[in-house]
Amino acid sequence: MNLAWKEMKKSKTKFVILGSIVFLISLLTFIISGLANGLSQDNAALIKNLPDGTIYMETAAEETHALSAIDTETQQAALSENDGAFVFSIQMGFLLNEQDEQQSVAFVTSTSSAEFPEVAKGEIILDRSLEEDGIQKGDRFTNSQFNDEFFVAGFSDGAKYSHAPVAFIHPDDYAEMYRTEDLQMLFLPEMAQPGAIPGLQSFSAGEFLNTLPSYSAEQLSLSMIVWFLVVISGMLFAIFFYMMNIQKLGLYGILKAIGVKTGALFRMIWTQMLVITAMALILSIAVSQLFATLAPGDMPFYLPIDATLQLTAVFFVIGFAGATLSGLQIRKAKPLQAIQQGEG
Amino acid sequence: MIFTTQNIRKTFKTGEVAEEILKGIDLSLTQGEITALVGSSGSGKSTLLTIAAGLQPASGGEIHFDGEELTAMNQEQIRQIRAESFGFVFQSSHLVPFLTAEEQLLLMLETAGSPLSKKQRRDEADKMLQSVGMGHRKTAYPASLSGGEKQRVAIARAIVHQPKLLFADEPTASLDSTKSREVMELLQQLTKTLNIATLMVTHEEDMLAYADRVITMKDGRLA
Repeated sequence: MNLAWKEMKKSKTKFVILGSIVFLISLLTFIISGLANGLSQDNAALIKNLPDGTIYMETAAEETHALSAIDTETQQAALSENDGAFVFSIQMGFLLNEQDEQQSVAFVTSTSSAEFPEVAKGEIILDRSLEEDGIQKGDRFTNSQFNDEFFVAGFSDGAKYSHAPVAFIHPDDYAEMYRTEDLQMLFLPEMAQPGAIPGLQSFSAGEFLNTLPSYSAEQLSLSMIVWFLVVISGMLFAIFFYMMNIQKLGLYGILKAIGVKTGALFRMIWTQMLVITAMALILSIAVSQLFATLAPGDMPFYLPIDATLQLTAVFFVIGFAGATLSGLQIRKAKPLQAIQQGEG
Repeated sequence: MIFTTQNIRKTFKTGEVAEEILKGIDLSLTQGEITALVGSSGSGKSTLLTIAAGLQPASGGEIHFDGEELTAMNQEQIRQIRAESFGFVFQSSHLVPFLTAEEQLLLMLETAGSPLSKKQRRDEADKMLQSVGMGHRKTAYPASLSGGEKQRVAIARAIVHQPKLLFADEPTASLDSTKSREVMELLQQLTKTLNIATLMVTHEEDMLAYADRVITMKDGRLA
């Protein structure tokens, strides 16, 4: 007999309340997680979208890429020895349109690369978000450090850095703007067998992102909120089932007295936990995905399916642990105490 | 004799002090008979019932049931005996609040590992509810039953799997005198017709008229 289902059917209100709380907390977790991922993408999509590989910057720059300068000799040596390698720089700046309106961008230039778009001199390729803001192919922009005009040659997807759209420019234009032919970072793809390069320090993409102060602080705060919510959900399960079990200790004792196995009682609370969690999570996944499609374009929200599934799995594990922990009282329920209840 | 106890002792320790509640009880139960256990509060009658039912261990002595020594069995074996061969009626009916009257009996059949098919179990449960006069309330939940009706369903649950032994701990304590008589008549009738050995603890003298044998306990001994 499915005791779990029978109880849920009879005590709908109690379980709907628990399900609603799990739904609300898991939805909040998904939304915060989506915002965390969205902000992460907004902050560092340029780096995160790179394939697996190693990023090098000058050791003397002490993990600050803006201070890194890889000279042309080192660049040439690394590029000639490693297929798929490229050198690139990122500098925050701005563009002025014909109405002198300012647009913040991250100027990115690189040697020939499959990862970044090829740009001719005088051209810029902008992140797609600027096209959504009304900028069109052929628009012209100026910059106080650049003598000529930039001509918009196209748009690129997922090119954001430090919450600013990326503007890809030609290395010669970059050299003119920043008065240097040195570039900041060298990228070696995974198959290029990275090794030590004198004067350069190596970073994985993750390690590199952690050198960006705004990125790590932002992600740490958001991750803390996400995991805090996950832990709260687990505690919620434990507390709710604990309260239910406390009320049912006498019943458990009687059921044990008539011969019901302790394992059957555990299966009952596990089934209830699984059903409630599954229903609450299905609903919150659906609502969070709906939110992702309805959220304003300016809101950085990114909730990929793998992040959703990861959190879902964590919710199940923590729900199971919470229910089991509270279920330990079942083992303590004594048939003798139950049978003696009400005795004068 | 389907059930016997030999020299059953029970000692409770409170800190350094050990108190002997049962001081060597020899008891036997016969099928088709209600044995009433009476005595003043603290005489040890409920302790004896719970030890006999395998709900707590004795400190010494032996219990034999149907040719097997209960006192030599482990917890799981005792649980299985309770599920298959014992029935319980408590002072409060202690029905499962989220199961209908019929489902209470189906749960007992399932717990006892009944070999009956699903339909046969349902028929058996319905038949048993009819026999205790509760056939018309089989879909009712405990919350909608009166005290007497609950106790009738509890009795039906206790015997639906055809146990050999029925333990009844103050089965009429929460009922008025009319309902108490009805419940006792039912217990008496079922004990005879199903050939069950019933051990009943009671402190109500009126109920002793329904017992085949009355055993009085005093200070941990049979008087």
